[in-house]
Amino acid sequence: MMNEREWRDFNAGLSDEVDSWLRGDTSRRTFLTRLMLMGGAAMLPGLGFTAAGSKAWAQAVDVSKVELADPSTPLGEAQAAAVKASSEGPKEGSAYRAVQAAQAYKAKNITLNLTYEAGLQALEPKNFSGPLWQTLTGINFNVVELPHPDQYSKPIAEHIADSGAYDVLDIEPAWIPALANGGVILPIDDYVTKYMNKADLDDYHPLYKSITLYKGKRWGVFDDGDQFALYYRKDVFEDEKLKSAYQAKFGKPFGLPKTWDEYSQVAQFITDQLAPNVYGAAHFRKFGSPGNQFSFLQQFRANGGKFFDADMKAQLTTDAGVTTLDQMIAQNKASIPGNNDLDAVAQWAAWLQGKVAMIFSWPPTGRISSNYAQRDKAINFIPQSSIADKVGYAVLPGGNGEMASGYVRALAAGSNNEEAAYLFMQWVSAPPLSLVRTMLPYTLRDPYRLSTYKSEQYRALWPAAKDYLINLCECSNNAVVDMIMPGWQDYALSIDRMCTAVWGGEDPKSALQKASAEWDSTTQRLGVAAQKAAYQEFLQIPGSYADHTIEKVGQAVHIT
Amino acid sequence: MVQLAPADILPPPGAGRSSRLVSAFADRYFKWLMIAPAAILILALSIYPLLFSLWVNFVNYDFQIPGHDFVGLQNFLQVIQDPLASSALVLTILLSLTVVAIEFVLGLALALAMVRTFRGRGIVMSLLVMPLFISPVIVGQSWALFLQRPFGPADYLLGQLVGHPVNISWVGEVPWVYIAIVIADVWQWTPFMFVILLAGLAAIPQHLYEAAELDGIGGLQTFVHITLPQLAPIITLALTFRLLDAVKLFDIIFMLTGGGPGTATYTASFYLYQIGFQQFHLSIATAGSWIFLILLSVVIMVLVRRLLRVEAA
Repeated sequence: MMNEREWRDFNAGLSDEVDSWLRGDTSRRTFLTRLMLMGGAAMLPGLGFTAAGSKAWAQAVDVSKVELADPSTPLGEAQAAAVKASSEGPKEGSAYRAVQAAQAYKAKNITLNLTYEAGLQALEPKNFSGPLWQTLTGINFNVVELPHPDQYSKPIAEHIADSGAYDVLDIEPAWIPALANGGVILPIDDYVTKYMNKADLDDYHPLYKSITLYKGKRWGVFDDGDQFALYYRKDVFEDEKLKSAYQAKFGKPFGLPKTWDEYSQVAQFITDQLAPNVYGAAHFRKFGSPGNQFSFLQQFRANGGKFFDADMKAQLTTDAGVTTLDQMIAQNKASIPGNNDLDAVAQWAAWLQGKVAMIFSWPPTGRISSNYAQRDKAINFIPQSSIADKVGYAVLPGGNGEMASGYVRALAAGSNNEEAAYLFMQWVSAPPLSLVRTMLPYTLRDPYRLSTYKSEQYRALWPAAKDYLINLCECSNNAVVDMIMPGWQDYALSIDRMCTAVWGGEDPKSALQKASAEWDSTTQRLGVAAQKAAYQEFLQIPGSYADHTIEKVGQAVHIT
Repeated sequence: MVQLAPADILPPPGAGRSSRLVSAFADRYFKWLMIAPAAILILALSIYPLLFSLWVNFVNYDFQIPGHDFVGLQNFLQVIQDPLASSALVLTILLSLTVVAIEFVLGLALALAMVRTFRGRGIVMSLLVMPLFISPVIVGQSWALFLQRPFGPADYLLGQLVGHPVNISWVGEVPWVYIAIVIADVWQWTPFMFVILLAGLAAIPQHLYEAAELDGIGGLQTFVHITLPQLAPIITLALTFRLLDAVKLFDIIFMLTGGGPGTATYTASFYLYQIGFQQFHLSIATAGSWIFLILLSVVIMVLVRRLLRVEAA
């Protein structure tokens, strides 16, 4: 029989498999094998593995319902340390404190309703942190899976309905002002003072430390370092023929692009030389895909663009705006055919198949490029990487990669179990737990703690994992963050519409003017004075602009 | 056999009176009791939201703006002055008319072809009506998978057909997005026209065709002078039903183009969804819905009158 976890993985994998199969990027054999499994599983006892029983360290806590790796592996070691930190201490650790405080709820038979993005994001609390928390505290958990846009809209709808449906919300940092102003989430400062170890707060990379602050209050615990970085094919960039051809054509050495203009030039050169086998780049620029807004906003700021002037008039229709769109058009032209129809997963598929030489994307790119992620059956629908030992990591051209979205665990207003919900948030993001959750092969949670960047266990996951972590840290030092202001949803929607209109043939300047008008309308609707104040607050956040990054304010962390 | 005394079978005088009273009460009010749950349900789910939405029209009801201040006609003005709202409305009208016209022509052609019996007719009919049973969201997703580059096979198949590589952005460039939407909608809803028109064709009395044949009238004339007039009420009905549904076009847009490129494929429904449920400007979305409802009511009235006239004739 399949156990509960295997059924969940199987079902999640099956639907993804069907999608992949329909897209034509997985084998029919795999798909049919899964269908066979579904039919035959009931007759095949002993499928899969059970984690309990062989873990000596787990004897103190019954972890039979928790998905655990072999204790001799780096992940198994990290999991053992997380359980120990939760159940034995150190006593001053945030994980231990949260678990101890949560014992008060043990006999109360309460259930925490946790929103997570549907699919792989939700597997982690279902397989690991949820069951472990339940085992440690007796507090039940219920993972509510929502598509990404609904992670914003559903809590609002439930708040308006005053349903108390959720306890802990998974939200983007940029949603904090809107949700805080709307009363959907609660500040957690009092709980932090009461329960959290301040050293654990300092363990965040400085970029993520202030990202949950708004109007002087803390609105959640940061929990997903969605830092964009450049991933490139070392074999392509080390190719001697390409090097000499590039030198002959441009009179300079062939190497990683340092500016966005160079990026287009290098991508186009690679496409001209190697297509249709390899194209210069691939981007996720499909309608509704956040790739458009993230690409535009990071480049716009790298080009010196500012969002608003002193009167809060939108500043998109400027040289920086036109330059950015022109650069993006050049990137599209230099990329794999169908570039503008790709979403993030399709971009990854093209990359893993070895069809492109450079992509910039979220940190899971590093894990799936090395085939580390695909070892878990929950994610093995993703094609195996054909470039596992050929991938290099770098900061983005221009230096300022977007900290693109990320997740904050926030306390839902109207929660019937406010304190217990907070304790879960503190525990799940505490250093030992955070490390494990960013190490799980199928996870989409990405490193954000200094202790994770330095973790020997993480660095042992694949040969280049150390370089990967160092690069993520470096990228965060110069990162720009999303526009953390009320109205972000509306401003971002305008950017997406603008970009897709341009990909569809509209003149960039005209598209910029329309987007500017939409931004002005949004600002007017929310109130110019209120937005001005919010913008001033945003300007204080390190990463608001290229001249105000963590590096520029002198807080950079360089690890080795 | 036991003989019952009169006292055993007749109720006492007082009891009879109260029983009659109960009976009379039940006769008078029981029906109201029976329909009360349905009435309460309708009041709660239809009338209350409708009245609530009337109020929302005239206040600020925006998640990000505190309070519900009275704003008069401001919400209506915002929609009327929004160029996106008017372009969405125009697109809705154009797309609806286009898809319904194509679906009508194809549906009629199919009905004419299928009205006569032939071997395998049952199987062909089953296949033809199958798209009707698929959720529009699935239809949109399926067409997106088919058309979307680089993994969708549409461009490859077209390339094989024309003998050279084809690179069309079906979901990202005008006019291809419109063609993609029309194809997906026509694929799903032509069977609806087909089924209704086929029923209409089957109901035309056979003796009319026999008389025409005896008079030596040709096929085209028979179609024009017998089939079309006899089918007219059904055609009006089919066009009315389909048009009312087509103006709500949302699911396919949502899955296939997301309203893009830019806002090129925003229909009225998609516009209202974006404003209301993605941006949470609820009062503007409500005002937009009312404007849309009023405009749609005019179309409905014209179509229903036409339908009644045909029926009376």
